Amino acid sequence: MIESRGLAYFVGKRPLLQEINLLVEKSDFVLVFGPNGAGKSTLLRVLAGLLQPERGDVWLDGKSLAFYSKRELATRLCYFPQSDEFTLPILVEDILQAGRYPYRSLFKKFSPVDREAVAGGVEEFGLQGLLGRNMQTLSGGERKKVLLASALIQDVPLLLLDEPLSFLDPGSASHLVRRLAGLRGRGKTIVVVSHDVAQFFPHANKILALKNGRQCYFGSREFSRELLQEVYGVAFQRAYAGKKEILFVDE
Amino acid sequence: MVSLFREPMPGKRRSSLSTNKKIILLAVLVGCLLVITPFLGIVPVKLRDVFSASPAQFVFWQLRVPRALLGFVAGAILALAGLVCQNLFKNDLATPDLLGISSGAAAGAVIALKFNIAFSFLGARGAAVFSFLGALSAILFIYIVARLIKNASLYTFLMSGLAINFFYSSVIVFFQYLFDLSDTFSLLRWLMGGIAVSGYGEVLFLLPLLVLFLVLILVFNKEFLMVAAGEDFARSRGLNVAAFRLYSFLGLAVFVGSVVSICGPIGFVALVVPHVSRSWGGGRFPATVAFTLLLGGGLLLAADLLARSLAPPVDIPVGIVASLLGAPFFLLLLVAQLKKID
Repeated sequence: MIESRGLAYFVGKRPLLQEINLLVEKSDFVLVFGPNGAGKSTLLRVLAGLLQPERGDVWLDGKSLAFYSKRELATRLCYFPQSDEFTLPILVEDILQAGRYPYRSLFKKFSPVDREAVAGGVEEFGLQGLLGRNMQTLSGGERKKVLLASALIQDVPLLLLDEPLSFLDPGSASHLVRRLAGLRGRGKTIVVVSHDVAQFFPHANKILALKNGRQCYFGSREFSRELLQEVYGVAFQRAYAGKKEILFVDE
Repeated sequence: MVSLFREPMPGKRRSSLSTNKKIILLAVLVGCLLVITPFLGIVPVKLRDVFSASPAQFVFWQLRVPRALLGFVAGAILALAGLVCQNLFKNDLATPDLLGISSGAAAGAVIALKFNIAFSFLGARGAAVFSFLGALSAILFIYIVARLIKNASLYTFLMSGLAINFFYSSVIVFFQYLFDLSDTFSLLRWLMGGIAVSGYGEVLFLLPLLVLFLVLILVFNKEFLMVAAGEDFARSRGLNVAAFRLYSFLGLAVFVGSVVSICGPIGFVALVVPHVSRSWGGGRFPATVAFTLLLGGGLLLAADLLARSLAPPVDIPVGIVASLLGAPFFLLLLVAQLKKID
């Protein structure tokens, strides 16, 4: 699906990413984690084609990202920014319809297929009541839901999400996690950057640990206390709630 | 092609009747204003003068009507330029005047006036071409700032706009200093922003530009919406944001430059009008465009009427009235935005 070899990204002379080698296959669920400033968001943006790597390359379905047109790329993957602040009033339905943009040409009207896709997203996320609302007036959870629906309406096989759980209350967060897991079941490939390793780990089949712009680990290794300690550089303790293992920082 | 009415959406749909009614009401109001203002002024024009040979007929058809039309067209273009600029920067404080684009255009026009450049290029007047180039040079500054400072915020651009404004003010004053006295007066008058014209040359030059501008905005309404939602959002949906932004800026330079070359730098229309229109449009972009068009034209018309009747028989340049009313509004807006950030 998406693959990188020897990927490096610099700002000036400072390396933000070095020697990143990834292989994400169809319907993988990849969790990317690491301390602040490890280059997680940068990596996601490079994978999304929003930043051009200095060295190495990203291949999507066997073709370098550089050879995709912007529209073509938008039919293959969708990037989910970390911040979703709206400084100007925009309607929810416009955000949803934007998901069909890569399939429309300048004068082409909204086709029945487009309409159906939007209706599907509205239905699935229960957004009927929000359509005429201004994005600015929605709660954080509602906003995330609308943006995720917009990405689904875009009908891309690969979703790249940056901290999708930020600012969400526990209920909305676990709801969103389950939804993402459900998408994976439907054949979508998901790469998610999050500090919330406990939420995502049960659903991820691959993990990528980043530290100082380098990958400490990539693969399907069992998620462990030792790995967390190595990546975050602090000691973790283990506790059990029933059969569920909980890891927390040992102070 | 593009209608003001949205594509039907599945599911429950909010009634937009009230918004459409508001647009029609505003259109009627502005239409009335357009018809009535030519009758008002120091020389009163009566209805029967309009079609009979009299000095009043000349005043009506050659001075007042073109002035009213120019007021509407110029106000509408400036307001639409403000709307587009705000969407590109996704902030309602970003307008061509605050970013320095208008003053760049003004400096260009002053240079054209100084050297008496009266050629015509592709049907455009020399001053308009120079205004366009001036606006373009200001946009170049904005690009340089964006290149130098990665992740530049709007406040960076507003600050650099301040610097750009100072720079072009100096350019204008410099050339003004070189002008002889009588020219300096007419230049000063132009810099205050006015729509006093005689004949239809200016209106016929700007009207097609307004139509073109409006068509472009409506054709690219999806794109303008997406950039307003954020660069990452738009790019993730397949829009080439960098290219779209570049073409938009080129268009802005043409439209703003043309208006400024004729009316001088009229401030604050571009700031106030889109702001009000957005809240009236309730997030619906086509409705916001309609409100901006009508309100922008109507506001400049009304401001000009006010300017003409404040201290008769003195004809105060409309730019002064616009700034007198617009500056406090800008301050309020700024305070409201800063409060939101805190």
